[in-house]
This record gives sequence, structure tokens and C-alpha cells, in this order.
Amino acid sequence: MYLNQFLFLAAFLFCVGVYGVLARKNAVLVLMSIELILNAVNINLVAFGLFRESVAGQVFALFVIAVAAAEVGVGLAIVILIYRNRHSIDLTEVDMMKG
Amino acid sequence: MTPALSITATAILAVATKVDIAVFAACVVIVLCGAIGVVVSRNPVHAALFLVLTLFGMAVLFVAQEAHFLAAVQVIVYAGAIVVLFLFVIMLLGVDREENVMAEPLRGQRPLAFLLGAIALAEIFLLAQGTQWATGATQVAGPAGGPGSNVEKLARVIFTRYLLAFEVTSVLLVIAVVGAVVLARRYETTATESPAAAQVEEPQSPRSEAPLSAAPPPAAPDESHPDESHPDESQPAGEPDAAPSGAR
Amino acid sequence: MPSLVAAAFEAPYLDYAALAPEIVLTGVLLAVLVVDLFVDEDRKAVVAQLAGVGLLASLLPVVFLAVDGDDRSMFSGAYVVDDFALVFKALFLVSGYVVLLMSTDHIEEGDYWKGEYSFLLLSSLLGMVVMSSARDLLTIFVALELLSIPAYMLAGWRKRDLRSNEAALKYYLLGVLSSAVMLYGMSLVFGATGTTVLEDIARELGGDASEPLVALGIFFIVVGFAFKVSAVPFHFWAPDTYEGAPLPVTAFLSVASKAAGFVALLELIFMGFFGQDNVWQPLFWVLAVLTMTVGNLVALRQTNIVRLLAYSSVAQAGYMLVPFAVGGSSDEAAGTAQTAVIVYLLIYAAMNLGAFAIVMTVARRTRSGEISSYGGLFTYAPGLTVLMTIFVFSLAGIPPFGGWFAKFYIFKSAVDAGTGWALALAVVAGVNSVIALFYYAGVAREMWMQPVPGDDRTPIRVPPALGAALGITAVAVMAIGVYPQAFARLGDLAQLAVR
Repeated sequence: MYLNQFLFLAAFLFCVGVYGVLARKNAVLVLMSIELILNAVNINLVAFGLFRESVAGQVFALFVIAVAAAEVGVGLAIVILIYRNRHSIDLTEVDMMKG
Repeated sequence: MTPALSITATAILAVATKVDIAVFAACVVIVLCGAIGVVVSRNPVHAALFLVLTLFGMAVLFVAQEAHFLAAVQVIVYAGAIVVLFLFVIMLLGVDREENVMAEPLRGQRPLAFLLGAIALAEIFLLAQGTQWATGATQVAGPAGGPGSNVEKLARVIFTRYLLAFEVTSVLLVIAVVGAVVLARRYETTATESPAAAQVEEPQSPRSEAPLSAAPPPAAPDESHPDESHPDESQPAGEPDAAPSGAR
Repeated sequence: MPSLVAAAFEAPYLDYAALAPEIVLTGVLLAVLVVDLFVDEDRKAVVAQLAGVGLLASLLPVVFLAVDGDDRSMFSGAYVVDDFALVFKALFLVSGYVVLLMSTDHIEEGDYWKGEYSFLLLSSLLGMVVMSSARDLLTIFVALELLSIPAYMLAGWRKRDLRSNEAALKYYLLGVLSSAVMLYGMSLVFGATGTTVLEDIARELGGDASEPLVALGIFFIVVGFAFKVSAVPFHFWAPDTYEGAPLPVTAFLSVASKAAGFVALLELIFMGFFGQDNVWQPLFWVLAVLTMTVGNLVALRQTNIVRLLAYSSVAQAGYMLVPFAVGGSSDEAAGTAQTAVIVYLLIYAAMNLGAFAIVMTVARRTRSGEISSYGGLFTYAPGLTVLMTIFVFSLAGIPPFGGWFAKFYIFKSAVDAGTGWALALAVVAGVNSVIALFYYAGVAREMWMQPVPGDDRTPIRVPPALGAALGITAVAVMAIGVYPQAFARLGDLAQLAVR
């Protein structure tokens, strides 16, 4: 298997994630799209780690997963907080301040 | 550390078998279908399930690359905990109605997003052309970092070279748990001057302290479930604040 | 990497003296968490006091390490305690202490979870302290998350306020997106070099013409941090977050969090990617021009003092990006550029925290953030007026105060580089300084010359903690203005070795 197969897969996943972040307006779905980007990162890290014969890539990916778990926990807590006050997690409605 | 150019790419290429290619192709289809499903599906629950699909496809890819431990973590933590958390919040808040998702965020933003995504993709492909990376082969036969079990090698590196990052991450998880619990709690225990506040404070103590020991990261919102079971309808948005709000 | 097969486990070398600030801070934040559980609701001030004492206690080992003066390195160069690290650790701890002083009364009177507030503030500071020493992609990433995640939560700490919720959500989504983008860049750089340690990355990359993959990696990393320091195409979260978040948190975000982003950029650019200046110099050039110009022009239109300070801090980030855009031509230019950024960060922290402390003090009485509510402040609060004038004129870069010296160093770095692009950038920065003068002077004019709205001249009571915060920042701004050489020396000492 070629390295570039993995890189292209990761690049595609990254771009799908970026599209999702820009196009979705539900905060939870935006967060899921960001998870796609993080997964693209993990594909890159593992493939490069294998290519470089270094286990550091896998370790890095492991840290990415652990931190993503913490991020998602906090993010969903913020989403719940907003939903309590507003009964919506629509990003276009969460836009009081302008200027 | 392998020097940049000591890659015996072509020699290793021979190892790549048709099975590898077939596995890779199948995984790519799974991963990409899942990813596209996440960004286009009308129903948030479906999006979460598509995310699981992507994560499973990636786990298989990790196995194909001899990253066994990571594959297990991917399934257990990512698919098993993080996505379940997503599903839990989606269903708890009842935001799985379709119209909530599909309306255009801003007029023309979706085509713009598509355009930006396509440009970024084209840019990445173009830039990746003409480098050694585009032709280098991964070393499917040789597991990363020499022989030995995957978990053992990971552990050796984590507990020597990346020890500090590991410790910092453990602190981070504690912080995330405590913060998420406090953020997602309902209001009756917030800082009012009533003596009741001090009393309700007590039951929280063991819960926010418990994760200090060894709770897994997704424990954060789990901890707040008891509070979440009744989405608080009684709190009107923008309830008048007795407290000063600073300069606004 | 040596073969590790079946070898007995060798414990890594740990220099506990070098890790002392982190260890003390971690101990204090866990103590804060536990003590908070046993303290009654009406005595929560004890927790904040414990946090404050703890911050000062973790400053002690920093001072000892500075006196000792040895550079200490651990984990194959991934974690280094040198002058650069110590200067920034001290900066973060002191500004954290000032923010804690500013928070005391605000949190006490507000609708907050007081104990956890101190806990999260300390956690974020721990991330910054780790960031100052991190010389490795993975450590930088983990430190960045440790300093950001508590900050996301602090922005929404005023739980019942919709604006605060909105601030938290915007900050969170863009923060997570930016770190994902940064990680994508890091994965590419890791692939191109096979290592995560910045020193080794610099060796692998060398000064060769950039490979596209490396260029792409650096691009994504810089974009990720551009979000963090609110540089212009990526700044749109900043004003909303700053306005919605509780005021002390806003001060914290605009100073400490931004400084941490710059610390990471300094490490990455000047240690890791120095040879690749043809990639990052143009990038920073564009970012700097856009950030300065847009920040200042939008600030002109603001009527709310917090939003004005928000856009002003965007513009200030633009000035700090200038040295990055000119620092790549030679080792000497890199040295000057680093000194400029470090000096600017130190001074910016003092003057911006000071300005926010005044805003908080005044808002305690006027309950308003409109600039018009500052009308005639001099007639009933002359002390505050003089201090605020010092802070805004310092931010504007008018001579006797600290900010002037910081701006001088920015221009010096651009002029020393001497290329046409650098000089053009210096001109843009000069024009922007003049534009900025208008809105800073507008605030001063309001305070000194306008009538008091509603003719309410009851004096403003300054609580002791806020007073202390004001005192520390005012003394710092004045001291830097009067003895700039001492700070320049600090900036020179703290340079990272480029290779």
C-alpha cells in the first residue's frame, strides 16, 4: 500500500469535515464535523508513523483521541447549557451580538 | 529516527498484496460514505450513526497498519463513548427533528462551503504532487518501531518520552469532568445567598470528586445525567439577574 | 531511536526542580478543588485566597530557577526550562494573579460558581506554564488544550446569561476547529520529519527549499494559531466572546490566552520552522497587515468600551505579528524580532489588564459599558481617570508610557530587517498607530471633557482587590516607560536560539 493513499483519504476526510463545519448550523453537527477533521489527522499520523518506522505517530493519535473526548464532553455541556436557556441549538439563532 | 531519505520504498512495495488493496478499498468506501453521511444527513441521529461507520472503517485501517491498540481505542473510546455521548445529547435535547438541520444557514453559505472544501481539497492534492511522499510506500509488513507487541511499544514511548504530556492530559481530563459537571448542572444550586445553597452543595461533592481517581473522559456528561433527566422547562430564557453583569 | 525490544524499562530523567512550578500549581489547583467542597457558600472567598497564595507560591520556584540560571532539558529536548520559558512562566503567573484579584469582587457579587471559577483559572494557567517550556509538537498540543478547555468554560461561566452562553459556544466551536486545523498541520510536519521535537524538526527541515507538504503543514499550523491570537480573517469570534464573557475572563482571554498563542508561535516558528521562512514570512505579512488595519478601523466605530478594547486587542495582535513577518532573513533579524514580540507581550499584558480593571471598577457603579457613560469621569473619580488615561495612551503608544517602547521595538525589528516588504509593513504599522490614536484619545476626551451623564457624581468605591490589581498594572506600565532598558534586556535574554 502506498502512503499517498492514506494521505489522500485523510485530505478528503479533512475537506468533508471543513465543509460540514461551514454548512451545518446545528451545533452538535458542527462538532461532529470537527471530529471528522480529527479523524483525518489520525489517519495521517498513523500512516506517517508507519512510514517513518516510529511509534510516535500512534502515540500522537492516542493523545488526539483522549483530548477529543475531553473536548466533546465540555462542548456538549455548553450545548446543554444553551439549550436550557434558549430551547434551541441553532447557530443562526445564537447570534445576539453584532457589530 | 529514520533519516529522511533512507526509505527502501520499492523493496517493500513487493509485500503489498492484493488482500491489502482490497481491505483498503473497502475501508475507504466505508470511511468516505460515513463522512459524507455525517455532513449531509437530515437527521442528527443518522449523522451520529454515519460517524460510527467512519470510525469503524478507520479502526480497520488501523489494524491493517499494525496499530492494534489504537484500533481498540478507536472502537471503545471514539465509537463507544464519544458518539454515544453525541447520541445521548441529541436525544436528550430532542433536537432530532429534521427541519432543524436542513434549512440554509445563510443564503449561499452552503455553495460557498462546498466551493471552499473543493478548493482546499484541490490545493492539498496539487501540493502533494511531485514530492517523494506521493510515491513512497508504507511498510505494511514491518510494524512501527521494531518488533515487539504494539501495546508494549506504545507504553514504552508514552511513559518515557511523552510522560509529561501524558500527565498533563490526565490533569486535563479531571478539569474537563469537573467543568462539564458544573456547567451542565441546573440552577437551584448556583450562588444564591440562601442557606439552601450550602446544603445542596453537599451532594455534589462526591460526584465531582469521584472522577479524580480514574474515570474515563466521557464520564463528564454522564455525571450530569441525573440533572438532565428533566430538561429544565421552568427556566425562562434571560431570567432577570440580580447580580451586576459588568459592563453591558 | 534506539531499539527498545525487550529492554528493561528505563525510567525517564526527571528534573523535579525544573518541574517545580508545574508541580506546585497542580497541587494548588487540586487543593482548591477539594477545599471548595468543604467550604460554606458564604465563605467561598477563602478558596480564591488559597488560589492567589498558590499562584504566588508557584512563582517562587520560577524565581529560584531564574537565579540558578541553568538551562534544563528533559524528555529528549521536548521540555526545556530556559530564560524564555521562565520569563513567560512569570508573566503568566503574575497576570493570572492580577486576573484573580480583579475577579474577587466580581465573582463574589455575581451569579457564579466561585470555587470552580478559581479552579478553572488555575488550570488554564497551568496549561500556559507548560506551554512556555514545551518544545515538542505533542506537548504544545496538549498544553494548548489544557489552557483552552478551561477558558471555553470560563467564558460561559455566567450560566444564566444568554450572551455569556453565546460567548462560550462561539469560542468553543472556533477554538476546537482551530486546534483541529493546527493538528492537521502538525501531522503533516510530523510526516515530513519523522519527529515531534522542534529541535529535530529544525534539523530535518534545514534551510532547504520547502517541500509542498511541509509548506502545507506550516500553513495549517499558522492558521490554527491565527484563530487563537485572533488575527484577522480568523478574528470574528473575539469581539462577541469578549463582550459576552464575564469581564475578568475577558481580560484573561485578551491577555494571557493571546500571549500563550504567541508563545507557541515563537517556539514553532523560530525553533522548528526557522529555515522555512519563505513559507511563513509572507503568511505573517498578510496576517499582520489585515489584523492591524481591520482591527483599528472597526474599533473606530465602537461605542461600547468592551468591544472597543476587543477590537483594540485584535489590532495589538497585529502589531505583534509584524516581527514574525520580518524575522526570517537572518539569525540577527530573528533575535530582534523575538525581542520585539517578547517585550510587546510583557507590556501589553500590563496595560490591557489595567484598562480592563478600570472598566470593571467603573462598571460597578455605572452598570454600563457604553463609552458615553465615562463622560466627566474626571470630576468625580480623578484617580481612575488618570490611570485610565495612562493605560489608553500606553496602548496607543504615546511616549512616556510603556506602550511607546513596545511599539518602538516593533518598528525597530521591521527597519532592521531592511527589506522593501519589511519597510512597507513598518509604514502600515505607522499609519495604523495614528488611526488607533483617534479612538484611544476619544475615550480620554470623554473622561476629561464631556459632561457627566445624568449628573450623578457619587464617587466610585474601589474594592481593595481591584485596587491592588490597578496598582500592580499601573506600576508596571510606568516602570517600563521609565526604565525600558531593563525590559529590553529581559527580552534579549529570553530569545530562543534559532538554528
